[in-house]
Amino acid sequence: MFYDLNVFKTAHAMATHAGQRQAVIARNMANADTPGYQPRDIEAFKSAFEMTGPQTQMMATRQGHLNGGGQAGHSWAEFAADPSGDPNGNGVSLEEEMLKAVDVKRQHDRALAIYKSSMNILRTSLGRG
Amino acid sequence: MSDFSHSLTASASALRAQAARLRHVSENISNADTPGYRRKTVPFETVQQDGKAMVQAGRVQLDRRDLQRVHDPSHPMADESGHYLGSNVDLMIEIADAREAQRSYEANLKMFDQTRKMSSSLMELLRK
Repeated sequence: MFYDLNVFKTAHAMATHAGQRQAVIARNMANADTPGYQPRDIEAFKSAFEMTGPQTQMMATRQGHLNGGGQAGHSWAEFAADPSGDPNGNGVSLEEEMLKAVDVKRQHDRALAIYKSSMNILRTSLGRG
Repeated sequence: MSDFSHSLTASASALRAQAARLRHVSENISNADTPGYRRKTVPFETVQQDGKAMVQAGRVQLDRRDLQRVHDPSHPMADESGHYLGSNVDLMIEIADAREAQRSYEANLKMFDQTRKMSSSLMELLRK
């Protein structure tokens, strides 16, 4: 556990994913009354994580970023979510976005809880519990 | 962290846009009995600012529907047939619009609050 702190990396990836999904959902919600807007979403953390495996690490997703492997750079892929048609061509369903938002909040809380408790274990093992 | 600021910006811009829409609805309602008044609407549009997606209420548009002809021979603006042109505001539409604006406003407010909570719980990790 002390050589390769994978649990922290995973928790970090999970929290980052939640943050990014939150941004996408907020954008959908903000455009709930914009004519012609189609909702977007990013792939679930589980499926994205299965692809990269436990070797999750910091990625350079923008040009300004230092460190981090650039090429593999997945800032989780965005895609158009299932639209629910409004007469004005808008596809956002507020209820559905609300549901996703709750999902994101729970995922974020979970990631932070994992991080915190792993940190506690580390502290305890160092005798500073 | 920038994700949080993006979603805060998006939510805040949506709150502003919905408030502008609500303002025009109340202007319409208060002018429902003004002769010759045409109801105002604002279109929403997505704009990119510094790479952040925001919503904006666009230019005010006037509803081109025909004005309602009101029969009132004693009215100073009445023509020979005793009619004058009222406004084209339909109270039912305005109230339904206000309801929808309120619903969207609340949803965005909730999103704003949730993003704030997520960010502060992240900060909480640094304490202790």
